[in-house]
Amino acid sequence: MDLQYSHADREFRRRAREWLSANVPSDARPSNGAAAAQFDRDWQRRMYDGGWAGVAWPEKYGGLGLTGLQQVIWYEELARANAPAAHVSKTYVALMHAGPTVMACGTEEQKTFHLHRILSGQSIWCQGFSEPNAGSDLAALKTRGTLDGDHIVVNGAKMWTTDAKHADFMELLIRTDPNSQRHKGLTWLICDMTTPGIEIKPIRTMLQDEHVNMVFFDDVRIPLGNVVGELDRGWSTALATLSFERGVGFIADQLALYERVGRAIDLAGKVRLDDGRLAIEDDTIAQRLASLKADTMAIRAMTLADIAETDRTGMPGPKGSMMKLMVTTTHKAISEVVGEIMGWEFMEFGGDRSETPWIHDYLWSWVFSIAGGTNEIQREITADRVLELPKAR
Amino acid sequence: MYLAPQDDELAIVDAAANYIAAAMPIERLHADAGPDISRDTRRAMGEMGWFALALPEELGGSGLTAVEHALFFREVGRQCGPIDLLAQALAAHTCSEDAAMRAPIVDGERGVGLLVADAGRYRVIGALDAAFALLVYPDGAKLYALADSGLETRASLDPANSIRMLSSLPEASCEIRGASIWAMGQIGVCAMLIGLAEAALDLIVEYAKVRETFGRAIGSYQAVRHTCADMAVRLEAARAQLWFAAAAHKESRIDAQHHIDAAKHLANETAMFCVDQNIQLHGGIGVTDEHNAHLLLKHTMLLTRLFGAKRALLSNLLHAQLQD
Repeated sequence: MDLQYSHADREFRRRAREWLSANVPSDARPSNGAAAAQFDRDWQRRMYDGGWAGVAWPEKYGGLGLTGLQQVIWYEELARANAPAAHVSKTYVALMHAGPTVMACGTEEQKTFHLHRILSGQSIWCQGFSEPNAGSDLAALKTRGTLDGDHIVVNGAKMWTTDAKHADFMELLIRTDPNSQRHKGLTWLICDMTTPGIEIKPIRTMLQDEHVNMVFFDDVRIPLGNVVGELDRGWSTALATLSFERGVGFIADQLALYERVGRAIDLAGKVRLDDGRLAIEDDTIAQRLASLKADTMAIRAMTLADIAETDRTGMPGPKGSMMKLMVTTTHKAISEVVGEIMGWEFMEFGGDRSETPWIHDYLWSWVFSIAGGTNEIQREITADRVLELPKAR
Repeated sequence: MYLAPQDDELAIVDAAANYIAAAMPIERLHADAGPDISRDTRRAMGEMGWFALALPEELGGSGLTAVEHALFFREVGRQCGPIDLLAQALAAHTCSEDAAMRAPIVDGERGVGLLVADAGRYRVIGALDAAFALLVYPDGAKLYALADSGLETRASLDPANSIRMLSSLPEASCEIRGASIWAMGQIGVCAMLIGLAEAALDLIVEYAKVRETFGRAIGSYQAVRHTCADMAVRLEAARAQLWFAAAAHKESRIDAQHHIDAAKHLANETAMFCVDQNIQLHGGIGVTDEHNAHLLLKHTMLLTRLFGAKRALLSNLLHAQLQD
């Protein structure tokens, strides 16, 4: 066991800190819509041009070809510099799981076309997995694809698709074998969102935004060359996507949780309670903040342990679900204590994230604990794969 | 950067696990073996060098670090091993400048109990035949010779250790200054708590695979599965923080103490959660005297009170600054 950073790691951190201090956007990110998408593309482009995009991606795909640990250092420095948060960025799907899936399962042609575009902020992606009747039970999906020459013709509907309106491409999981059941007969496709026959209907959420959508497919023709992995064997490609989403997808945000607790402690040192005392002078609040600080230190230790293991074995461990549970519960708990510190001010929310970030983050905590596999599903996966308990189903 | 046991560390884990499981299996607490450490076991352990794992080589120790110290005490915890083992190892450090005092402690010839202050009086936790008792505080430790009189035996909730009350302390026989001894005590107790939590999770996972209700293994019910998953998640987090803290101490990081405080707080909470839920999910059999579940609970309750209980740890952590 050791906590040693190599000379290269320390030098990388120093250069990252220096670059970020001069380059983190000073203007606030617009809350939503096209302006937010443009902001996210521009910030990604700036990191790409500065030579900081895709720290652990191979050089031939535009990355820096560095280690997972250096990727962690980069995310830590992003959090320390209070750079735009990764989980709300519209580049999230592309960077965190579409790109890694194409890298792991795609053809050389797909990699060459897509990976540079993702890293440079040119492509925004969305995810077309869930359906009205296939959420936690993803393998129940029904959107169908019929072969027609060198195309697949897609009909059906996808649900909860984040940023569909801003996306250039979609990770589309469909049933291509009409006689198949469950995990068999599925195909993972790259869907160009400009293809005729796609209709997007926004779903208004409790955050007073429209970041998620229903996407309808009416005879949408997608070239066979867009299949990632094998035709009718899309489940294994989908599992790769999910393992990235649950394994490393939250890494930037989980490392930022420690800084979030720090900001909550700073806030408690300024805000006065009804009785005139500073919030931090209240034992209950102080204890909860300190306890959350310990939780976020442990999350960081878990992340470093996992990344060091992955750097060594080349394989992500089976612990992504445990990480997601720890991260989502801690995220919500931080917002809850901030709600207590802020008192009535916490009740002021007009839907604008940049104006009232703390209450927005509180509402977002349900997005965190439901999207990408609910906490209940993560507990099932932990029980099955880590503890090897008898199956519930 | 690597945060799991590796190479020689794994050999320590194996050796410790095998030795402790043979010398003091948790089942001893159901037999008439009694609490604390026996004189014979103490001597055997001294002969094998277990009390001098982290003592410098020039003082007759193995010259290992907080990491191996943690790996050893995690195995002690898994078997509900008595606190005497930790008191003995810390006392060897306390006598680092007094070879004549140190030798019989390292050898296990003379026993050491652990002292805690309690409202103007003191409690001695550990063997009745202990020659010394060790008081550790955040910036040092003092070793006191125990007289035959003045010690009042109290009923102990925890079958793994006896507790006696002492009204006043004599002149210290040995003293050490500096925060390292407290840190090593915290890491040792923290590691025992992680071992206890692991033992609790193992017990319930094994039981959930074989115990059936309504014609199905209870491990197939989500009420049981999800609680086990929560135990596993909290354990994963607390264990990662323990390894981080032990490595931070080994490498003398300036923020090591913060990491140790966080590790102890997480171990306190995690172990209590795991030993509690282990009893609950076992159902009726979980509250019987013949089961190990209550032994894990009672020893955890003892350890959470040592080397930093909740209030003190959280007040340290609130304004702690980490360095990178």
